This record gives sequence, structure tokens and C-alpha cells, in this order.
Amino acid sequence: MIWKTLKIWFHKLGSAPSFYRFARVVSPWLWFGFAVTAAYGLYLALYVVPPDYQQGDSARILYIHVPAAWQAMFIYLVMTILAIIALIWRIRLTEILAMSCAPIGAALTLVCLVTGSLWGKPMWGTWWEWDARLTSMLVLLFIYIGIMGLYAAFDDRRKGARIASVLIIAGAVNIPIIHFSVEWWNTLHQGATIKLTGESSMDPSMLPPLIWMVISTKLFFGAALLDRARNELLDQDRSKKWVARQVLETSS
Amino acid sequence: MIPELSHASYVWTSYSVFGVIVAWQFIQPLIRRKRLVDSMLEAEAERRAARRNQQ
Repeated sequence: MIWKTLKIWFHKLGSAPSFYRFARVVSPWLWFGFAVTAAYGLYLALYVVPPDYQQGDSARILYIHVPAAWQAMFIYLVMTILAIIALIWRIRLTEILAMSCAPIGAALTLVCLVTGSLWGKPMWGTWWEWDARLTSMLVLLFIYIGIMGLYAAFDDRRKGARIASVLIIAGAVNIPIIHFSVEWWNTLHQGATIKLTGESSMDPSMLPPLIWMVISTKLFFGAALLDRARNELLDQDRSKKWVARQVLETSS
Repeated sequence: MIPELSHASYVWTSYSVFGVIVAWQFIQPLIRRKRLVDSMLEAEAERRAARRNQQ
């Protein structure tokens, strides 16, 4: 019974008016969740966790840097799955969602690169080093920007989305390169300190703010994605009746 | 209230960059939606005016 209801609800979500209504209701709650979890995570990161015995307080940058890096890669994976669905089944909503992922992923990749650089200056003595992890992350930013540019280059949004989806799938090869770069090459960037399988080398006292910030970036992604997808839907369907009903009537 | 940190300028700049980018991701869709709705309302008003003129 629940499964059937869920299935019907999921299919309904594929229609533009249903998705628009869903996004309008859910997005503020995701922003609220983000604000609460980020506030608590930042409080732990700045006030509760002691400074690192070697790095001092500069280690606090990792509570921004690491969640941003993980989320930037996670967004790319989500975007790749959506692009595959969009190319195979030609579902317009998945095209819109995939294209809406790119600016959010680019923003978090930029956060990761800038905060990494700000940590690198006092710790490594340099703002930038052309090592495999840093370079592959920079390539990720360029891929995100390329996807946004390619999508925007077409007047026909659906055609633009399909061509950009091909670039998304081709660019997915960079994700394992980023992940394994610290193992495959000799890098200045440290290896993985937090492992899902096996023992983490990070002190347990540093984990709570990191976990809260990871949760907050997930909520941030959900909220920003719904907002952007909603706008894109509005723009594409501006001449349709449901837009006139839902948008023009509510705003007048 | 504000914690005294070593490497404070690097830490606060990092947190500020995060704050600015998150704020932009929140504000930018709001601005775009307002522009979209305004342009749609404008087009609708023009359509209604044209209809009235025809009558």
C-alpha cells in the first residue's frame, strides 16, 4: 500500500506543476535544516573542537574544505545519473535537474579550492601546487563551467541539455581520478584520513563538526537544487497555462 | 564572543568565502524568479491592454 502510494507520488512528481508545487513547499524546509545544522556545525568547529597540535587553528578550515570537496564530487555523481536518465528516457525534469546541479557543484568546488589554498599558504608555504589532487579538482571546476556554458549556448534548452549531458557523462571520468589521485601519484595533498571501511586516522574529537557540516552541505544542495530547477521550469513553461494559473494568479 | 585563533586571517577568510557563496546560492534564484515573474506579469498586462484596444 505504502509502496504503491510512493510510486504514484513519484510518477506525479514527473509532471511540471506537481514538481513546482513540491519544490515550493520542500525548499524552505531544506534551507531551514541547512541553517540549523550549519550553525551547530560551525559552533562546534569554532568553539568546541581544540586546535590541532601541529596545525593550530588553521585545521578549522577543514570543516569547510572537506564537506565542500565531498559535496562537489557527490553532486557530480548525482548529475551524471540524471544525465544518463535524461539521455535514455528523455525525461525533461531530469534534464532540468541535471543542468541545475552544475552551478551548485561549481560553487562548492570553488569553495573547496579557495579554502584549500587558504589552508595551504600557512601549512605548505604556498597558495597553489600543481599536484594531482589539486589539479584534478581544478579540472572539475572547469568541467562544471563547461557544462553551464554549453547549456546556455543553445536557444533550444532541451537540445542544450542533451548535448551538455554527453559532456557530463564524459567528464565523470574525473571523479575517480580525484578520489584516487592521492594513491596513484605522489602528492603534496595528504591521503584519505577518514575511511568508510577501515580505521580513520582523524582524532574522534574532530568528527562531530565535520559530520554536521557534511549534513548541512547535503541539505544546502537539496534546497539550492529545488530553487534552481523551479526557476528553470518556470522559464521553459512561461507560456503554458499551469504557469499562468500558479504564478500569475498568486502574485497578482 | 569571537574566538581568538592562530592563523585567524586564513580561517576567517575561509569561513567568509563559504558564507558569501552560500548566500549567493540562496539569493540568486530569488532574484531570477522575481525577474521571471515580473516579465510574465508585464507580458500578461500587455496582452490584456491589446485585447481591450481591439474591443
